[in-house]
Amino acid sequence: MIWSIAWRNVWRNKLRSIIMIAAIALGLFAGVFTMAFMQGAVDARIQSATKTELAHLQVHAPDFLANNDIALKIEKANEMVRNIEALDSVVAASERLIAEPFIMAAHGTGGGKLIGVVPQQEKKVTDIWEKIIDGEYLEHESRMPPVVIGEKLAKRLRLKVGTRINVQMIDRSGDLSMKGYRVSGIYRTTNTAYDESTLFVKFDDLKAQLGMEDNTAHEIAVLLDNGNEATAVKPSVEKLAAGYKVQTWKELSPEMSLLTDSMDQYMYVFILIILLALCFGIINTMLMSVLERVKEIGMLMAVGMNKRRIFFMIILESVMLTVTGGALGILLGSAVTKFFETRPINLTMFSEGLESYGFASQIYTSLRGDTLVTIAILVVITGLLSALWPARKALKLNPAEATRAE
Amino acid sequence: MKIIEIKNLKKTYEDNSIPVHAVNGVSLSIEEGEFTAIVGPSGSGKTTLLNIIGGLDDASEGTVTINGVEINRLSSRKLTDFRMNNIGFVFQAYNLIPVFTAKENVEFVMHLQGAKKEHREARATELLKAVGLGEMMDRRPSKLSGGQQQRVAVARALASKPKFVLADEPTANLDSKSTENLLDIMEQLNKEEKITFIFSTHDQRVVNKARRVVTLEDGKIKSDITKS
Ligand SMILES: Nc1ncnc2c1ncn2[C@@H]1O[C@H](COP(=O)(O)OP(=O)(O)OP(=O)(O)O)[C@@H](O)[C@H]1O
Ligand SMILES: [Mg+2]
Repeated sequence: MIWSIAWRNVWRNKLRSIIMIAAIALGLFAGVFTMAFMQGAVDARIQSATKTELAHLQVHAPDFLANNDIALKIEKANEMVRNIEALDSVVAASERLIAEPFIMAAHGTGGGKLIGVVPQQEKKVTDIWEKIIDGEYLEHESRMPPVVIGEKLAKRLRLKVGTRINVQMIDRSGDLSMKGYRVSGIYRTTNTAYDESTLFVKFDDLKAQLGMEDNTAHEIAVLLDNGNEATAVKPSVEKLAAGYKVQTWKELSPEMSLLTDSMDQYMYVFILIILLALCFGIINTMLMSVLERVKEIGMLMAVGMNKRRIFFMIILESVMLTVTGGALGILLGSAVTKFFETRPINLTMFSEGLESYGFASQIYTSLRGDTLVTIAILVVITGLLSALWPARKALKLNPAEATRAE
Repeated sequence: MKIIEIKNLKKTYEDNSIPVHAVNGVSLSIEEGEFTAIVGPSGSGKTTLLNIIGGLDDASEGTVTINGVEINRLSSRKLTDFRMNNIGFVFQAYNLIPVFTAKENVEFVMHLQGAKKEHREARATELLKAVGLGEMMDRRPSKLSGGQQQRVAVARALASKPKFVLADEPTANLDSKSTENLLDIMEQLNKEEKITFIFSTHDQRVVNKARRVVTLEDGKIKSDITKS
C-alpha cells in the first residue's frame, strides 16, 4: 500500500508534478540525444579512420614509421600476407610500399605520402576505391602509370582526371628518381587533411621507381571482422610477423583512442550536469510536498507508520516522479535517435570546418544499450538523493502536530 | 479491569519566556469499557493530556501505564508500534489520507500491522458498514461530508483492534445532526463491542452522553463525576 500511496501522492498536485516531470524529460531527452549524436560522430570518424585510412592492424619494420626510411622493409611480404589472411578473424591483408614524394604539376608542387598498392588486394582491405568521385581507381590500363589523388590536392594543384604529374623521390640506391604519372581518379573522404596528402599508385609502378627488391613491402594492412578485436588478434599476427612491429589502429592513431575514451567521460559529465540541475528542482518539489503535508504526516505517524516507512514513502515519491520524467525523456530520446540512425543529420553548412578535423558532415546517431542503462541508473540515483533532505525533514515532524488543528 | 493508569502527570512547555504548565499534576485511571469525556475551558490542557496518554507527546513528569506497559520508557520505534497495536485515534481534522478511499484508509492501519489482504478488506467493509458508510466505501475523503469523514476515522481507529480509542474533539467541526449521529455510533460500539472511548469536547450535548466526565482547569482535575 505504501507504493500505491506514494504513486498517488505524486499526482496529488498534478500541475506541479507535470512541470517537474516535463523538465526531467526534456533534460534527459537533450542528454540522450546529444550523447547519441556525439557517439555517432565518433563512430563515423573511427569508421572512416579504420575503413578508409588505417585498416585494423598494420605491420612494419620496427623503425619504419619513425624514420620513413625505405630501406626498413618487410621481407617475404607475400608469404606473410597469405599467412595473415589465413587467420580466423582476418578478412583480408594487403601489402603496400610507401614513399615520400615530391610532386610537380603545372600549377604547383606538393608532398605527402605516396602509397603503392596491389589494387585487387587493397580493395578488400580499405574502401578508397569506393570514394572515387571522378575517373576510376588504379585498375585502368594506360601507357603512363596511373595515380589516384584526393580532391583537396586536385583542387590545389588544379589537377583533373587525365592530367600528368611528375613524381620525384630518392630511390633504394640513393639516387634521385623521377617518373611521370597520369591522374586516373580523384577520391574524397571525410578527412580533408588526408585527401590533400595521400596519393595511391600501383605497387609495381612504385616498386620499379624505388628499385625495391622482389617480395618486399613497407607495410601490411590487415582488415578484421570486427575492429574491437584488434587487440585480441594482434598476438597471432605478431607470431606470423616475427621481428616486425604489429600495431592496432588505436596504437597507430592515439588521437582516435583518446577521442573514444574521453568522449565517454565528457558525455557522462554532461549528463551529470543536467541531472544536478534537475536535482534542485526535485528537491524543491519534494520539500514543498512535505511541508504542505505536515499534519497528514503527523497523523500517519500517530496511527502507526514508523519513521522508516515515512522515509521510504518520501524517497519512493521522489524516485517515482524522477523515473517517470526520466523514462519519458529516455524513451523520447531513443525514439528520435532511432529515427536519425537511418536518416543522417545533415551538417553540410558546417561541413568544411568539420571535415578539416576529419569528421563527416552527415551524422548518423548511435546509441549503445549500456549507455542507456547507465543513464537510467543515474536517474534513479538522482531521485533518491534529491529526496534525502525532504525525507529527513519529514522525519523531524511530530505526531502531536496532527492534533493541533488551527 | 484497569487499562490506563496515570500518575502525577505534568507537562510544561518552556519554549516561551514564561513556562506554561499545560498539565499540572494529573492522576487518573480508566477502566475497560468506559465512555469518558474530558471537558474544560480552552487551554485547560485537554489536548495535551490526550496526546500524552496516546504516546504522541512525552510528559515532563509522572507516568502513563497502559495495560501494564509504562509507555514513557518505550523507544520511539517501539512506541509507534505500541500506538498502532493498542490505541485508536480520532482527531478533530486531518484524520484521513486524501489519496485513499474510505475503505483503503481503514485498511491502511491493518496493512501496517501486516494483515493479509482478504482479512483487511473484510474487516474494513464490516467496520464501514457499522458506521453506516457501506455505500460510500470507495469514495475519497474529499467526496465525503465532515460527519462521514469522522465516521471513517472511527472505523479506522477500530480497525487495528485497539484497547481503547482516543478522540480529541471529534465533533468540533460537525453540525448538530452529524454530531448526534457520530455519538450514537460511538455509544453503540461502546455498548455492543465493549470498546473504551475517551474523548474531549466543548459540546454540552456530547458531555451529556458520557457516563464519566472529567473536568480540567489550568491543567488540573477540577472534578471527576461518574453517572450511575
Ligand atoms: N506546543 C506548545 N507549545 C507551547 N505551549 C503549548 C503548546 N501546546 C499547547 N500549549 C499550551 O498549553 C496549554 C494547554 O493547551 P491544550 O491545547 O492542551 O488545551 P485544550 O484544553 O486542548 O484547549 P482547546 O479546548 O482550545 O483545544 C495552553 O495554554 C496552550 O497554549
Ligand atoms: Mg484541544
